[in-house]
Amino acid sequence: MDIKISQQENKTMVVLNGRIDTSNADQFQQDVAPLMEGENPDIDIDCTDMSYTSSQGLRIFLMLQKSVMARKGKLVMRNMNPQVKEVFDITGFSNIITIV
Amino acid sequence: MKKRFNPIKDKSSEIIEFVMSSPDIPDDDVLKFKLRLSIEEAVENVVRYAYDGGIGWLETNIDFNQDTLLLTIQLRDAGVPFNPLEKEDPDLTLSAEDRNIGGLGIFLCKKMMDNIEYRYEDGNNVLTMTKRVQG
Repeated sequence: MDIKISQQENKTMVVLNGRIDTSNADQFQQDVAPLMEGENPDIDIDCTDMSYTSSQGLRIFLMLQKSVMARKGKLVMRNMNPQVKEVFDITGFSNIITIV
Repeated sequence: MKKRFNPIKDKSSEIIEFVMSSPDIPDDDVLKFKLRLSIEEAVENVVRYAYDGGIGWLETNIDFNQDTLLLTIQLRDAGVPFNPLEKEDPDLTLSAEDRNIGGLGIFLCKKMMDNIEYRYEDGNNVLTMTKRVQG
């Protein structure tokens, strides 16, 4: 799994690449921890090259969403592949995170 | 194909990759995604919770029946008796604020596989997951 984080105006842009699973979830959580604080909570995550997530990844996406909402921001996840989208659909995460 | 891993503490990835590399796992990316997810969630459940401190074994058994096209993945451990299927499904209607972090693993297994059964046998937890593979 590879993660690129950059700032664009008042938004944080995140690009994910590879699998988020039990082998790297702790690292992923550390990588996104800075996004859970600060005054510019809007986050845009490009999921084009995210090939997989287990419940370990979902847990972190939910933490991000809760943190962003608490700061009145918006989290958007883009271009999920159909298998990853299905994981978000069947867990109801599609209803609590904006997916475009 | 049967293999016993001992000890299993911090060995989730190794166990998952072993099962996924079995010749019985079909070469179909969509199916492999569902199998990997089910295997990861089930293995993690044992590695994290079955044994106090993670000291113990986990046996994997993979079988593909050519006639019925049924792929069976079985996990066996000698940890604390625990039927993960008795765990209540998460409430998918809750808002983000009210959703719990966690509790999704076995639910995902149930959704991704065709069938999951649990039994406690000879002091072992035995979880059997099956999936029909299209010919």
